[in-house]
Amino acid sequence: MSRKTQYNPFLKAHFSAVHLFLTGGLIIPAFLFQNNLTVRVSQVLLFAALASFAGKRIKWNYFLVMVGSITAFNLLQPLGEVILRIGPFAITRGALNQGLEKGFTIVGLVFISLFSIRPDLRLPGKVGGLVARVFFYFERIIEGKKQIEPRRLIESIDTILLSIYTPGQTQLAGGEATFTEAGQTTWVGVVCMTTLVLLNWSALFLAPLA
Amino acid sequence: MSNLKERLAARFTNGKVSLFHNEQRLELIAFLGGLCLFFSTIEYLFPKPVPFFRLGLANLPILITLDILSPGSIFLLVFLKVLGHGLINGTLASYVFLFSISGSFASAVVMLAAHRVGGKRISLVGVSVFGAIASNIVQITLSVTFIFGQTAWVIAPLFIGLGVTSGVLVGLFAEKLREQSRWVAGVRQLNVS
Repeated sequence: MSRKTQYNPFLKAHFSAVHLFLTGGLIIPAFLFQNNLTVRVSQVLLFAALASFAGKRIKWNYFLVMVGSITAFNLLQPLGEVILRIGPFAITRGALNQGLEKGFTIVGLVFISLFSIRPDLRLPGKVGGLVARVFFYFERIIEGKKQIEPRRLIESIDTILLSIYTPGQTQLAGGEATFTEAGQTTWVGVVCMTTLVLLNWSALFLAPLA
Repeated sequence: MSNLKERLAARFTNGKVSLFHNEQRLELIAFLGGLCLFFSTIEYLFPKPVPFFRLGLANLPILITLDILSPGSIFLLVFLKVLGHGLINGTLASYVFLFSISGSFASAVVMLAAHRVGGKRISLVGVSVFGAIASNIVQITLSVTFIFGQTAWVIAPLFIGLGVTSGVLVGLFAEKLREQSRWVAGVRQLNVS
Protein backbone atom coordinates (compact mmCIF):
# COMPACT_ATOMS: atom_id res chain seq x y z
CA MET A 1 0.00 0.00 0.00
CA SER A 2 2.66 2.46 1.04
CA ARG A 3 6.22 1.83 2.07
CA LYS A 4 7.42 3.34 5.32
CA THR A 5 9.68 6.31 4.63
CA GLN A 6 11.15 9.28 6.47
CA TYR A 7 8.35 11.53 7.69
CA ASN A 8 8.45 15.05 6.24
CA PRO A 9 10.53 17.33 8.54
CA PHE A 10 8.28 20.33 7.75
CA LEU A 11 5.23 18.48 9.04
CA LYS A 12 7.10 17.32 12.13
CA ALA A 13 8.23 20.87 12.83
CA HIS A 14 4.86 22.58 12.40
CA PHE A 15 2.24 20.00 13.36
CA SER A 16 1.78 17.97 16.51
CA ALA A 17 0.78 14.36 15.84
CA VAL A 18 -2.49 14.78 17.78
CA HIS A 19 -3.53 17.94 15.89
CA LEU A 20 -2.74 16.32 12.56
CA PHE A 21 -4.83 13.31 13.59
CA LEU A 22 -7.73 15.63 14.55
CA THR A 23 -7.44 17.41 11.20
CA GLY A 24 -7.85 14.05 9.45
CA GLY A 25 -10.85 13.31 11.66
CA LEU A 26 -12.49 16.66 10.76
CA ILE A 27 -11.97 16.12 7.03
CA ILE A 28 -13.44 12.60 6.92
CA PRO A 29 -17.16 13.61 7.29
CA ALA A 30 -16.83 16.34 4.66
CA PHE A 31 -15.30 13.78 2.30
CA LEU A 32 -17.79 10.98 3.05
CA PHE A 33 -20.88 13.17 2.52
CA GLN A 34 -19.61 14.58 -0.77
CA ASN A 35 -22.03 13.60 -3.56
CA ASN A 36 -20.30 15.20 -6.52
CA LEU A 37 -18.02 12.58 -8.11
CA THR A 38 -15.73 15.14 -9.77
CA VAL A 39 -15.15 16.93 -6.45
CA ARG A 40 -14.60 13.61 -4.71
CA VAL A 41 -11.93 12.58 -7.22
CA SER A 42 -10.27 16.01 -6.79
CA GLN A 43 -10.27 15.50 -3.02
CA VAL A 44 -8.67 12.07 -3.45
CA LEU A 45 -5.91 13.62 -5.58
CA LEU A 46 -5.38 16.32 -2.91
CA PHE A 47 -5.15 13.68 -0.14
CA ALA A 48 -2.74 11.62 -2.26
CA ALA A 49 -0.54 14.69 -2.72
CA LEU A 50 -0.64 15.34 1.04
CA ALA A 51 0.23 11.71 1.83
CA SER A 52 3.10 11.90 -0.63
CA PHE A 53 4.23 15.24 0.88
CA ALA A 54 4.14 13.61 4.32
CA GLY A 55 6.79 11.19 3.09
CA LYS A 56 4.67 8.14 2.30
CA ARG A 57 5.71 6.40 -0.90
CA ILE A 58 2.41 5.55 -2.55
CA LYS A 59 1.99 2.40 -4.62
CA TRP A 60 -0.19 3.79 -7.39
CA ASN A 61 -0.73 0.36 -8.98
CA TYR A 62 -2.33 -0.91 -5.78
CA PHE A 63 -4.82 1.97 -5.70
CA LEU A 64 -5.60 1.75 -9.41
CA VAL A 65 -6.31 -1.98 -9.07
CA MET A 66 -8.45 -1.18 -6.01
CA VAL A 67 -10.65 1.41 -7.79
CA GLY A 68 -10.72 -0.70 -10.97
CA SER A 69 -11.78 -3.91 -9.25
CA ILE A 70 -14.44 -2.21 -7.09
CA THR A 71 -15.90 -0.55 -10.19
CA ALA A 72 -15.74 -3.81 -12.18
CA PHE A 73 -17.60 -5.77 -9.49
CA ASN A 74 -20.25 -3.04 -9.26
CA LEU A 75 -20.73 -3.10 -13.03
CA LEU A 76 -21.78 -6.74 -12.78
CA GLN A 77 -25.03 -5.54 -11.18
CA PRO A 78 -26.74 -3.32 -13.83
CA LEU A 79 -28.32 -0.10 -12.55
CA GLY A 80 -29.94 2.63 -14.65
CA GLU A 81 -29.36 3.66 -18.25
CA VAL A 82 -27.15 1.49 -20.51
CA ILE A 83 -24.26 3.62 -21.79
CA LEU A 84 -22.19 0.94 -23.53
CA ARG A 85 -22.51 -2.68 -24.64
CA ILE A 86 -19.52 -5.01 -24.88
CA GLY A 87 -20.92 -8.28 -26.26
CA PRO A 88 -23.49 -9.57 -23.79
CA PHE A 89 -22.16 -7.24 -21.09
CA ALA A 90 -23.96 -3.92 -20.52
CA ILE A 91 -22.27 -1.02 -18.76
CA THR A 92 -24.88 1.03 -16.90
CA ARG A 93 -24.51 4.63 -15.72
CA GLY A 94 -25.79 3.97 -12.19
CA ALA A 95 -23.50 0.99 -11.59
CA LEU A 96 -20.50 2.86 -13.02
CA ASN A 97 -21.11 5.92 -10.82
CA GLN A 98 -21.71 3.76 -7.77
CA GLY A 99 -18.54 1.73 -8.37
CA LEU A 100 -16.34 4.79 -8.95
CA GLU A 101 -17.84 6.53 -5.91
CA LYS A 102 -17.15 3.52 -3.66
CA GLY A 103 -13.67 2.99 -5.06
CA PHE A 104 -12.57 6.61 -4.68
CA THR A 105 -14.12 6.86 -1.21
CA ILE A 106 -12.14 3.88 0.03
CA VAL A 107 -8.90 5.03 -1.54
CA GLY A 108 -9.47 8.60 -0.27
CA LEU A 109 -9.91 7.36 3.30
CA VAL A 110 -6.62 5.50 3.06
CA PHE A 111 -4.86 8.68 1.83
CA ILE A 112 -6.40 10.77 4.66
CA SER A 113 -5.21 8.14 7.09
CA LEU A 114 -1.73 8.06 5.55
CA PHE A 115 -1.08 11.78 5.92
CA SER A 116 -2.87 12.39 9.22
CA ILE A 117 -1.54 9.46 11.25
CA ARG A 118 2.09 9.47 12.31
CA PRO A 119 3.87 6.66 14.13
CA ASP A 120 4.63 9.06 17.02
CA LEU A 121 0.93 9.70 17.68
CA ARG A 122 0.69 9.25 21.45
CA LEU A 123 -2.51 7.56 22.52
CA PRO A 124 -3.80 8.44 25.99
CA GLY A 125 -3.95 6.21 29.07
CA LYS A 126 -2.63 2.74 29.76
CA VAL A 127 -3.17 1.60 26.18
CA GLY A 128 -0.97 4.50 25.01
CA GLY A 129 1.79 3.40 27.40
CA LEU A 130 1.54 -0.19 26.22
CA VAL A 131 1.65 0.85 22.56
CA ALA A 132 4.79 2.88 23.34
CA ARG A 133 6.42 -0.26 24.76
CA VAL A 134 5.35 -2.27 21.70
CA PHE A 135 7.09 0.30 19.47
CA PHE A 136 10.14 0.29 21.71
CA TYR A 137 10.53 -3.46 21.28
CA PHE A 138 9.69 -3.27 17.59
CA GLU A 139 12.53 -0.81 17.02
CA ARG A 140 14.94 -2.99 19.00
CA ILE A 141 14.00 -6.08 16.95
CA ILE A 142 14.32 -4.10 13.68
CA GLU A 143 17.83 -2.99 14.77
CA GLY A 144 18.81 -6.67 14.99
CA LYS A 145 17.31 -7.57 11.61
CA LYS A 146 20.71 -7.59 9.86
CA GLN A 147 21.84 -10.44 12.12
CA ILE A 148 19.23 -12.78 10.63
CA GLU A 149 20.88 -15.51 8.56
CA PRO A 150 18.59 -17.46 6.20
CA ARG A 151 20.70 -20.64 6.67
CA ARG A 152 20.44 -20.45 10.47
CA LEU A 153 17.04 -18.80 10.50
CA ILE A 154 15.61 -19.95 13.82
CA GLU A 155 18.97 -19.85 15.60
CA SER A 156 19.68 -16.29 14.48
CA ILE A 157 16.14 -15.08 15.30
CA ASP A 158 16.56 -16.72 18.70
CA THR A 159 19.80 -14.84 19.40
CA ILE A 160 18.12 -11.51 18.65
CA LEU A 161 15.06 -12.29 20.76
CA LEU A 162 17.14 -13.44 23.73
CA SER A 163 19.31 -10.32 23.57
CA ILE A 164 16.26 -8.04 23.75
CA TYR A 165 13.81 -9.80 26.04
CA THR A 166 14.61 -12.24 28.80
CA PRO A 167 11.46 -14.24 29.54
CA GLY A 168 9.95 -13.03 32.81
CA GLN A 169 11.60 -9.61 32.90
CA THR A 170 9.66 -6.65 34.28
CA GLN A 171 12.04 -3.83 33.35
CA LEU A 172 12.45 -2.65 29.81
CA ALA A 173 15.72 -3.91 28.40
CA GLY A 174 17.97 -0.92 27.79
CA GLY A 175 15.88 1.62 29.70
CA GLU A 176 12.58 3.37 29.20
CA ALA A 177 10.64 3.50 26.00
CA THR A 178 11.79 6.30 23.75
CA PHE A 179 8.39 6.64 22.12
CA THR A 180 7.63 10.33 22.57
CA GLU A 181 5.42 12.59 20.60
CA ALA A 182 7.47 15.02 18.55
CA GLY A 183 6.64 18.64 17.78
CA GLN A 184 4.10 21.28 18.66
CA THR A 185 1.69 22.94 16.27
CA THR A 186 2.99 26.33 15.16
CA TRP A 187 0.86 29.16 13.69
CA VAL A 188 1.92 27.96 10.22
CA GLY A 189 0.50 24.56 11.11
CA VAL A 190 -2.74 26.08 12.42
CA VAL A 191 -3.21 28.07 9.20
CA CYS A 192 -2.53 25.01 7.01
CA MET A 193 -4.86 22.76 9.00
CA THR A 194 -7.68 25.34 9.12
CA THR A 195 -7.39 25.95 5.37
CA LEU A 196 -7.51 22.23 4.66
CA VAL A 197 -10.57 21.66 6.84
CA LEU A 198 -12.40 24.74 5.47
CA LEU A 199 -11.57 23.76 1.89
CA ASN A 200 -13.14 20.33 2.26
CA TRP A 201 -16.22 21.57 4.14
CA SER A 202 -16.75 24.38 1.62
CA ALA A 203 -16.59 21.82 -1.17
CA LEU A 204 -19.32 19.84 0.57
CA PHE A 205 -21.74 22.79 0.67
CA LEU A 206 -20.78 24.43 -2.62
CA ALA A 207 -20.37 21.38 -4.86
CA PRO A 208 -24.12 20.66 -5.48
CA LEU A 209 -24.49 24.23 -6.81
CA ALA A 210 -21.60 23.81 -9.23
CA MET B 1 -8.10 -11.57 50.49
CA SER B 2 -5.20 -11.49 48.07
CA ASN B 3 -5.22 -15.29 48.05
CA LEU B 4 -8.87 -15.27 46.99
CA LYS B 5 -8.07 -12.69 44.33
CA GLU B 6 -5.27 -14.86 42.97
CA ARG B 7 -7.49 -17.95 42.96
CA LEU B 8 -10.25 -16.07 41.14
CA ALA B 9 -7.78 -14.66 38.63
CA ALA B 10 -6.33 -18.12 38.04
CA ARG B 11 -9.83 -19.50 37.52
CA PHE B 12 -10.82 -16.90 34.97
CA THR B 13 -7.55 -17.16 33.09
CA ASN B 14 -7.43 -20.93 33.12
CA GLY B 15 -4.44 -20.82 35.50
CA LYS B 16 -2.21 -19.49 32.77
CA VAL B 17 -0.01 -16.41 32.83
CA SER B 18 -1.79 -15.08 35.93
CA LEU B 19 0.74 -17.25 37.81
CA PHE B 20 3.34 -14.58 37.22
CA HIS B 21 3.12 -10.87 37.89
CA ASN B 22 0.91 -8.56 35.92
CA GLU B 23 3.91 -6.37 35.04
CA GLN B 24 5.73 -9.38 33.61
CA ARG B 25 2.61 -10.32 31.67
CA LEU B 26 2.28 -6.83 30.16
CA GLU B 27 6.00 -6.75 29.37
CA LEU B 28 5.73 -10.08 27.57
CA ILE B 29 2.62 -8.91 25.66
CA ALA B 30 4.40 -5.67 24.66
CA PHE B 31 7.38 -7.66 23.41
CA LEU B 32 5.15 -10.06 21.49
CA GLY B 33 3.35 -7.04 20.01
CA GLY B 34 6.71 -5.71 18.79
CA LEU B 35 7.45 -9.15 17.35
CA CYS B 36 4.10 -9.16 15.51
CA LEU B 37 4.99 -5.79 13.94
CA PHE B 38 8.40 -7.12 12.99
CA PHE B 39 6.91 -10.15 11.20
CA SER B 40 4.40 -7.82 9.60
CA THR B 41 7.24 -5.82 8.01
CA ILE B 42 9.02 -9.03 6.96
CA GLU B 43 5.82 -10.00 5.12
CA TYR B 44 6.28 -7.08 2.72
CA LEU B 45 9.40 -8.82 1.37
CA PHE B 46 7.31 -11.67 -0.05
CA PRO B 47 5.55 -11.20 -3.40
CA LYS B 48 1.75 -11.27 -3.24
CA PRO B 49 0.00 -13.72 -5.61
CA VAL B 50 -3.07 -11.42 -5.74
CA PRO B 51 -3.68 -7.87 -4.50
CA PHE B 52 -5.16 -7.49 -0.98
CA PHE B 53 -3.75 -10.88 0.04
CA ARG B 54 -1.70 -11.19 3.24
CA LEU B 55 0.44 -14.13 4.29
CA GLY B 56 -0.34 -13.81 8.00
CA LEU B 57 3.22 -13.99 9.35
CA ALA B 58 2.25 -11.50 12.07
CA ASN B 59 0.15 -14.26 13.61
CA LEU B 60 3.27 -16.29 14.51
CA PRO B 61 3.73 -14.80 18.01
CA ILE B 62 0.03 -15.41 18.71
CA LEU B 63 0.24 -19.02 17.54
CA ILE B 64 3.27 -19.90 19.67
CA THR B 65 1.78 -18.37 22.82
CA LEU B 66 -1.72 -19.82 22.53
CA ASP B 67 -1.02 -22.29 25.32
CA ILE B 68 0.92 -19.81 27.44
CA LEU B 69 -1.29 -16.73 27.57
CA SER B 70 -4.87 -16.43 28.79
CA PRO B 71 -7.61 -15.54 26.24
CA GLY B 72 -7.72 -11.99 27.63
CA SER B 73 -3.98 -11.57 27.07
CA ILE B 74 -4.26 -13.02 23.55
CA PHE B 75 -6.98 -10.49 22.68
CA LEU B 76 -4.88 -7.66 24.13
CA LEU B 77 -1.96 -8.82 21.98
CA VAL B 78 -4.18 -8.94 18.88
CA PHE B 79 -5.46 -5.41 19.62
CA LEU B 80 -1.91 -4.08 20.05
CA LYS B 81 -0.81 -5.80 16.85
CA VAL B 82 -3.60 -4.23 14.79
CA LEU B 83 -3.27 -0.81 16.45
CA GLY B 84 0.52 -0.76 16.01
CA HIS B 85 0.16 -1.80 12.40
CA GLY B 86 -2.41 0.94 11.81
CA LEU B 87 -0.09 3.55 13.35
CA ILE B 88 3.01 2.45 11.45
CA ASN B 89 1.28 2.25 8.09
CA GLY B 90 -1.01 5.19 8.77
CA THR B 91 -4.14 3.18 8.00
CA LEU B 92 -5.78 3.66 11.40
CA ALA B 93 -8.59 5.84 10.03
CA SER B 94 -9.34 3.76 6.95
CA TYR B 95 -11.23 0.64 5.89
CA VAL B 96 -7.94 -1.30 6.18
CA PHE B 97 -8.08 -0.96 9.96
CA LEU B 98 -11.68 -2.21 10.10
CA PHE B 99 -10.79 -5.21 7.93
CA SER B 100 -7.62 -5.88 9.88
CA ILE B 101 -9.20 -5.74 13.35
CA SER B 102 -12.22 -7.85 12.33
CA GLY B 103 -10.10 -10.49 10.59
CA SER B 104 -7.53 -10.62 13.39
CA PHE B 105 -10.10 -11.00 16.18
CA ALA B 106 -12.08 -13.63 14.25
CA SER B 107 -8.86 -15.51 13.64
CA ALA B 108 -7.84 -15.28 17.32
CA VAL B 109 -11.24 -16.51 18.55
CA VAL B 110 -11.19 -19.48 16.18
CA MET B 111 -7.53 -20.34 16.91
CA LEU B 112 -8.20 -20.24 20.65
CA ALA B 113 -11.30 -22.41 20.27
CA ALA B 114 -9.48 -24.91 18.02
CA HIS B 115 -6.57 -25.06 20.45
CA ARG B 116 -8.80 -25.52 23.51
CA VAL B 117 -11.18 -28.04 21.92
CA GLY B 118 -8.60 -29.95 19.91
CA GLY B 119 -5.90 -29.99 22.59
CA LYS B 120 -2.95 -32.15 21.59
CA ARG B 121 -4.92 -33.76 18.75
CA ILE B 122 -4.57 -30.62 16.67
CA SER B 123 -1.18 -29.29 15.61
CA LEU B 124 -0.25 -25.64 15.18
CA VAL B 125 -0.66 -26.18 11.43
CA GLY B 126 -4.31 -27.11 11.98
CA VAL B 127 -4.86 -24.20 14.37
CA SER B 128 -3.21 -21.80 11.92
CA VAL B 129 -5.36 -23.05 9.01
CA PHE B 130 -8.54 -22.57 11.07
CA GLY B 131 -7.42 -19.04 11.95
CA ALA B 132 -6.61 -18.19 8.33
CA ILE B 133 -10.00 -19.47 7.12
CA ALA B 134 -11.84 -17.47 9.80
CA SER B 135 -9.94 -14.30 8.95
CA ASN B 136 -10.58 -14.74 5.23
CA ILE B 137 -14.29 -15.44 5.64
CA VAL B 138 -14.77 -12.32 7.79
CA GLN B 139 -12.77 -10.14 5.39
CA ILE B 140 -14.60 -11.45 2.32
CA THR B 141 -17.96 -10.87 4.05
CA LEU B 142 -16.94 -7.28 4.88
CA SER B 143 -15.69 -6.59 1.39
CA VAL B 144 -18.88 -8.02 -0.16
CA THR B 145 -21.06 -5.98 2.23
CA PHE B 146 -19.25 -2.65 2.08
CA ILE B 147 -17.11 -2.54 -1.04
CA PHE B 148 -17.57 -4.95 -3.92
CA GLY B 149 -21.21 -6.10 -3.67
CA GLN B 150 -22.71 -9.61 -3.85
CA THR B 151 -20.93 -10.51 -7.09
CA ALA B 152 -17.61 -10.59 -5.22
CA TRP B 153 -18.49 -13.98 -3.69
CA VAL B 154 -17.00 -15.51 -6.85
CA ILE B 155 -13.50 -14.71 -5.57
CA ALA B 156 -14.17 -16.35 -2.19
CA PRO B 157 -12.86 -19.86 -3.12
CA LEU B 158 -9.59 -18.40 -4.45
CA PHE B 159 -9.02 -16.33 -1.31
CA ILE B 160 -9.91 -19.17 1.04
CA GLY B 161 -7.63 -21.51 -0.94
CA LEU B 162 -4.74 -19.05 -0.63
CA GLY B 163 -5.59 -18.57 3.05
CA VAL B 164 -5.35 -22.32 3.67
CA THR B 165 -1.96 -22.46 1.90
CA SER B 166 -0.56 -19.54 3.87
CA GLY B 167 -2.07 -21.00 7.07
CA VAL B 168 -0.17 -24.26 6.46
CA LEU B 169 3.12 -22.41 5.85
CA VAL B 170 2.77 -20.17 8.91
CA GLY B 171 1.72 -23.18 11.03
CA LEU B 172 4.75 -25.22 9.89
CA PHE B 173 7.10 -22.36 10.77
CA ALA B 174 5.39 -21.93 14.16
CA GLU B 175 5.84 -25.67 14.89
CA LYS B 176 9.52 -25.44 14.02
CA LEU B 177 9.98 -22.30 16.11
CA ARG B 178 8.25 -23.92 19.09
CA GLU B 179 10.44 -27.04 18.82
CA GLN B 180 13.81 -25.37 18.26
CA SER B 181 13.71 -21.90 19.80
CA ARG B 182 15.40 -21.41 23.18
CA TRP B 183 13.52 -18.14 23.57
CA VAL B 184 10.13 -19.81 23.08
CA ALA B 185 11.19 -22.52 25.54
CA GLY B 186 12.08 -19.80 28.06
CA VAL B 187 8.72 -18.12 27.64
CA ARG B 188 6.95 -21.46 28.07
CA GLN B 189 8.77 -21.94 31.37
CA LEU B 190 6.92 -18.91 32.72
CA ASN B 191 3.77 -20.96 32.82
CA VAL B 192 5.17 -23.45 35.33
CA SER B 193 7.23 -21.12 37.49
